[in-house]
Amino acid sequence: MELQVNGIRTYAATGGKEFDVALPTVLFIHGSGMDHRAWALQTRWFAFHGYSVLAPDFPGHSLSDGEALTSIEEMGVWLSDFLAAAGVEKAHVVGHSQGFLSALELANNHPEKLLSLTGIGTAAAIPVNPALIETAEIAPAKAADMMLQWGFGPGAQYGVSAVPGMQPIAIGRQIMSNNPLGVDLKACANYTAGADIAEKLDIPSCLILAGKDKMTPLRAGKALASAMNAQVTVFPEHGHMLPVEAPKQSLQALRSFISSL
Amino acid sequence: MSRSSYLQADTIALHSGYQPESDHGSRAVPIYQTTSYVFDDVSEASSLFNVEQGGHIYSRITNPTVAVLEQRIAALEGGSGAICTASGMSALYVTFTTLCSAGDHIVSSAQIYGSTATLLRHTLKRFGIDCTFVAINDQDAVKAAIQENTKMVFCESIGNPGLEVADLDAICVTAHDAGVPVVIDATFSTPSLNRPIEHGVNVVVHSATKWMGGHGVAVGGVIVDGGNFDWQKSSRFPELTEPYAPFHGMKFWEEFGPSALAMKMRAESMRDLGAAMSPHNAFLILQGIETLSLRMKQHVANAHELMHWLLEQENVSWVNHPDLETNETNDVAKRLFPKGAGSMVCFGVEGGRAAGAAFIDALQLGSNLANVGDSRTLVLHPGSTTHSRLSPEQMVAAGISEDMIRVSVGIESIKDIKADFANGLRSAKRAAEAS
Repeated sequence: MELQVNGIRTYAATGGKEFDVALPTVLFIHGSGMDHRAWALQTRWFAFHGYSVLAPDFPGHSLSDGEALTSIEEMGVWLSDFLAAAGVEKAHVVGHSQGFLSALELANNHPEKLLSLTGIGTAAAIPVNPALIETAEIAPAKAADMMLQWGFGPGAQYGVSAVPGMQPIAIGRQIMSNNPLGVDLKACANYTAGADIAEKLDIPSCLILAGKDKMTPLRAGKALASAMNAQVTVFPEHGHMLPVEAPKQSLQALRSFISSL
Repeated sequence: MSRSSYLQADTIALHSGYQPESDHGSRAVPIYQTTSYVFDDVSEASSLFNVEQGGHIYSRITNPTVAVLEQRIAALEGGSGAICTASGMSALYVTFTTLCSAGDHIVSSAQIYGSTATLLRHTLKRFGIDCTFVAINDQDAVKAAIQENTKMVFCESIGNPGLEVADLDAICVTAHDAGVPVVIDATFSTPSLNRPIEHGVNVVVHSATKWMGGHGVAVGGVIVDGGNFDWQKSSRFPELTEPYAPFHGMKFWEEFGPSALAMKMRAESMRDLGAAMSPHNAFLILQGIETLSLRMKQHVANAHELMHWLLEQENVSWVNHPDLETNETNDVAKRLFPKGAGSMVCFGVEGGRAAGAAFIDALQLGSNLANVGDSRTLVLHPGSTTHSRLSPEQMVAAGISEDMIRVSVGIESIKDIKADFANGLRSAKRAAEAS
């Protein structure tokens, strides 16, 4: 669906069903350079099983207008504005990678708006090599290649796909190359408040982590889980792009956590 | 490296799409010779039918062995996904009917395979889809032919059998400026010699029966979605951007973005038309792809040696191959095909049709049959067979002459191929002298 957030046309996927504010809402937040399609194989299940789903494209990304937000703090504020524009008072919030950092900001600013918080393939901080940021600013496709080579686990690198016939690396490359990846990566690199916020949170939380994650290594994810006192699920054979490369397993972990609350 | 994989092409050909499965550790891709798949429970079945998760339901739509082939070819081409079909012609039919509805229009190269021309000229017309045929490298003609209802510019990478190389870079500029995607049949080139998506092409179709398989034992086709066309921005494709009733109003572009076309083909055409590739054929074509790049090197080397040898023969009136300077698209071939522009050679024998027939009938090693891309050398007289349904004017537009002999040069010893052809040319000479 489309809605206006601070006067900017914003797209949000609703999982194939009309958004109904009366149902419990699950908010899915994408990572650097990505868009709502990262959640294609999670949103639809929730939308058809008693929840309302919102998976927005951040400003300047894919189907949303506007300029990209330049800091994680701005993204946290924008998420609050987005929920208000959709008429949502409380939501289960799920973030992948950078999306989780912006969810932390939302939780810090408005803990009352979160029914739960889930991070997938993430950590309290996501340092980014300055050379990657520089590449993303001048040659987004090349930077996307660098990220996808690190981001997907060994199975996906060998062309194994959860969706028969599809090649997730090519899909990710196409999306990331056309989005403001450099701006997102800079925002990630500059964000340092995650650990402090995580420690203070008192919200039911869950982390879904990958054993072969080279972008937010498992040990960093486990440290975050410990600080948050979060429930943890680890998929040992997958990489950072869990929602895409292990969609069924990620959905299962997400379903059991959210439905247990 | 392609846009789909960071492995090199030779590695992709052997590994992509499959890792040894956990139960038995089969190193080779297993043949899943099954029609259907047991669901964990009713809830999972419902999720699969509602596209809430990926997985297999019924082998008309997806099959694990076929999926490996799809993912491997998508990786070789650098596409976002691929759909395998029962034949190359069904791959074209699925592509045309996914992108076009009644009232729509296609701009096609005039130099294409005879059955494809018949599909575009006659069969699709019955369903209200019109086609304008143009000289594909005349960009003014392509531009002039594009109408408000045009859904694609279609061509073959190397035209069959005129051997005209399509200037993909120029065609893509013309089509994309008009908001129209480019669809190519790249059967004659294979991803081993040229990857059309790197030149801006949006959909790549192959008859996998040919060089991809190479063994001549399995018929199959494949469609690769380049994932590089903005269907929304074009505004010509409500089929992909507007709600699709059978899936609760799903909008494929919003939902899947770069894989929207492949997902729509899977959801609609494979379900409704049922032109599925059998798992056994997928397995056989996978065996061929493992050695594709090795075979293509030998195919091209033999084609080059044979064409030069033919040029020296006294009763050969002309020889055509894109890598010959006399071919009108030789400059394009040099740019697009640095490793050689395939292994199809056409030539004419002095003495007309009777001499040509005598040549073909005298061959022992070369097989007279209606196929190309086999590892064995194949010959054919297109005017009597594959293009026999064309009018004389259409034959000229398609680059075909009465005396044309089409050769799909195999990977046998070139010495034996030349000896066989020398024998054929002697018979042709005798036939010419007798008439």
